[in-house]
Amino acid sequence: MGSNGVTKRILKKTRVIILIIALVLSLFAIQFLTVGNTGVAIRTISKDSAAAVAGIASPRTTQPMAREVIVALNNKNIDTVEDYFTFTKDLKINQSISVKTVNRKFCFVVGCLINDYNTYRLKVQPEYEIIELNETESIDITEQVFNETINETVNVTRTEIINKTIKNVLGPADIGFSVYPAPSNNLKKGLDLQGGTRVLLMLDEHVDTDVMELVIDNIKQRLNVYGLTDIVVREVKGFTGTGDQYVLVEIAGVNSEEIRDLISQQGKFEAKIGGEVVFIGGKDITYVARAGDQAGLEYGSCGPVSDDLYTCRFRFGISLTPEAAQKQADITAELPIVVENGREYLNESITLYLDDEFVDELRIGAELGGNAVTEIMISGSGSGIDEQSAANDAIVSMKKLQTVLTTGSLPVKINIVKTDTISPTLGEQFIKNIMLVGLLAIIGVSLVIFIRYRNLKVSIPVIITMLSEVFILLGFASLVGWNLDIAAIAGILIAVGTGVDDQIVITDETMKNAIGESHLTWKQRFKKALFIIIAAYSTTMVAMLPLYFAGAGLVKGFALTTMAGVTIGVLITRQAFAAILEELVKK
Amino acid sequence: MNRKERRQLLKEKQFSDASVEQNKISSDKGRGFFQRIYEDEYKKLIFIPFAILLIAITIIIMNVVQTGEFVNKGFSLSGGTAITVVAGNINIDVIEDQLKSNLPDNQFSIRVLSEAGVARGFNIESDMTDNGEAIINELEKLSPGIKDSDSLSVTTMGSSLGDSFFKDAILAIIIAFIFMSIVVFIIFKQASPSLAVILCALSDIVVTIAAINIFGIKLSTAGIAALLMLIGYSVDTDILLSTRVIREKKGRVMTRVYDALKTGITMNATTLITVIVGIVISQSPELKQIFTILLIGLVIDIINTWIQNVGILRLYLERKDRPKVKSESNGQ
Repeated sequence: MGSNGVTKRILKKTRVIILIIALVLSLFAIQFLTVGNTGVAIRTISKDSAAAVAGIASPRTTQPMAREVIVALNNKNIDTVEDYFTFTKDLKINQSISVKTVNRKFCFVVGCLINDYNTYRLKVQPEYEIIELNETESIDITEQVFNETINETVNVTRTEIINKTIKNVLGPADIGFSVYPAPSNNLKKGLDLQGGTRVLLMLDEHVDTDVMELVIDNIKQRLNVYGLTDIVVREVKGFTGTGDQYVLVEIAGVNSEEIRDLISQQGKFEAKIGGEVVFIGGKDITYVARAGDQAGLEYGSCGPVSDDLYTCRFRFGISLTPEAAQKQADITAELPIVVENGREYLNESITLYLDDEFVDELRIGAELGGNAVTEIMISGSGSGIDEQSAANDAIVSMKKLQTVLTTGSLPVKINIVKTDTISPTLGEQFIKNIMLVGLLAIIGVSLVIFIRYRNLKVSIPVIITMLSEVFILLGFASLVGWNLDIAAIAGILIAVGTGVDDQIVITDETMKNAIGESHLTWKQRFKKALFIIIAAYSTTMVAMLPLYFAGAGLVKGFALTTMAGVTIGVLITRQAFAAILEELVKK
Repeated sequence: MNRKERRQLLKEKQFSDASVEQNKISSDKGRGFFQRIYEDEYKKLIFIPFAILLIAITIIIMNVVQTGEFVNKGFSLSGGTAITVVAGNINIDVIEDQLKSNLPDNQFSIRVLSEAGVARGFNIESDMTDNGEAIINELEKLSPGIKDSDSLSVTTMGSSLGDSFFKDAILAIIIAFIFMSIVVFIIFKQASPSLAVILCALSDIVVTIAAINIFGIKLSTAGIAALLMLIGYSVDTDILLSTRVIREKKGRVMTRVYDALKTGITMNATTLITVIVGIVISQSPELKQIFTILLIGLVIDIINTWIQNVGILRLYLERKDRPKVKSESNGQ
């Protein structure tokens, strides 16, 4: 029988077909692109930068290959991060730049099936330095005020005295992109392989899920204000009786002490009226209602504004200290009243600052002017194309405001218990190093197999199965979006090592004739091998399971890859290996 | 019983007779010294792994007496800082002198990170929890500009987290061990073979921990993961051995043992080669520790599986077979 016939029969086996499907799916998931992955991927867009003004948004997806990639600036090709920096080094104020980006989809080695190009125009902004002088000046402000007696809106001009400031232009401002080399596959590198900052925080006392959510939202909010969006903030737990609760913060690509300090502090929240501080988070705000009667959508407030625009209003209560309430009354006592949409407001808004960055502005109800009230209702609105999306938008806005107002007054103290700042250079070296380890290990294992069996019909299937297993594991990792860190890679190595062990068991068990077992059918012999494999698999799984839950998730990646690796092995690759071996060796 | 089946049974009998015959011939003639000892003196050989286990327990107790801990904890378990610097040209002694003379109150361990013998950087571990600032300042004096370069990685672990991780890890190892034991009992359904497997895994871990102490390795979080992995690996070869020896009825016990040995040693060889490549090539201190602990554990496992576990299984089979022979003769 020709070898062609054998190949055909192997390819017809269900178990081999399953393996091939798994390999193809992995190829889809990983999307290797070895040629043509030029350009720089956008990691984040800085707030209020030229890029943000031009309508470019920070990426929402965490899938590496789905990130928007800058390929040209002013029709000049940008292939590398160096190209990007060379171009952006000598920009001039008001210079206009066209940014050409691409979204690549379905990429296989030499190219992508879909290349979605986009062009944005942006204008380089000047970077200012604002100095407040000790002198004052008076300026005229014209506002639209609703006059109730004549029942129409009139323009009113008033004069206000403010501190004089001077604006110095420092030079062109950064256009606002944070970039990195365009990824060539969907494998997500863990922090220790790509560089970044990781901080593990421990809560001082046990809190319920609501408070935990608040703590996490608060950190996220503050990092977002800082212009960082490529972040992970999540709760991790240990399982010892202490019931310690941790929050893990990971920021890819940023390697700075500043961030660490930012997270380690509670954060600063200030509310100002007309430039004067009225209250400070943590000191003046004693309570922020987050649920119940005191917080939520206003009853019956949802409704259409026009055909395709609906709005909803939310409101929530906060409590101020008597001192803060008095201060508010003093500042607002003399402020004139304006009317907007049938409601009366003071003409000055209250502005909210988080870590000295402006986050929001609220109108002040006229009834608060000059009154020292400690219980205040804060309201706002959300909009959307239908009632449901307007309600959702309002809830999101409310949560954001609540989080900001709670800053500085979190109900629990948080301590930094672990910090990592990882150099991207080291990460790059580790990746190369690990690939070398993997390659040499595969060669070494192949040699042992050749020496032991001295039979290509056995050795080649063992090696092919081993390589398939690595590939399927990586495909699985891309699919579920695992971060491949050093520990996870150790897990992959170990899973593949176990795979080779199992194949040796299958080979020896099915091919042995020595002690009078040639009467057993192939199937019976494979069943005996499978018994050993399943037994070994079960013990590995139960040994790894506790590790998955232990120790603030420090070795979770290791446990997870090992367990997934051996499971994929038992379900897919071992079965296919046995099927191939059966066709090749069976006489 | 049809003819086909009968023929098969007959063939089977001939085969097993033939193999017994063959074994007898080989046992008389060509047995080497070691083979003779391995086959005949297994009751005495069993004492070797037990003696090793006893020594290991003594070493661990001594460690507890001296340091209060049964294992030496690295910075990631006891709290401290690790700084890794990517650099090609490194003089460890200069760095060590600088740190020791300027920061005399702290402890340091410095090592070169190399890839197949080529230096790629270095790693400093210390008991300080100041985010590495003091050490980085000293490094800055030696090599100005290093502070702001992106070649620096710093990990600081608070001692409270290290502590609770360690407690968690111990608990994880104990739970893993209990789970594993239950699974082993379910697989073999007989007390002695199951206990032999569990004893083997236990000895592996205890002796490996003692060896870690002897070699002066400071255990890290990654090292704990390796210890857990060892449970899995250790049990694999034991399951193979016990399945072949207990569940199969044909051939001499020793033939079945050799059969399992051949498979088991191939398994160990592929794992060992991976682990050795890992130790020689890998740069990351965490990976290096995982591989080192696996290497130690695997070597110990070879002794425990092929001497201790084989010995216990043979003793068990001897006891089990003896009354069986009696009842057979009674019946006739």
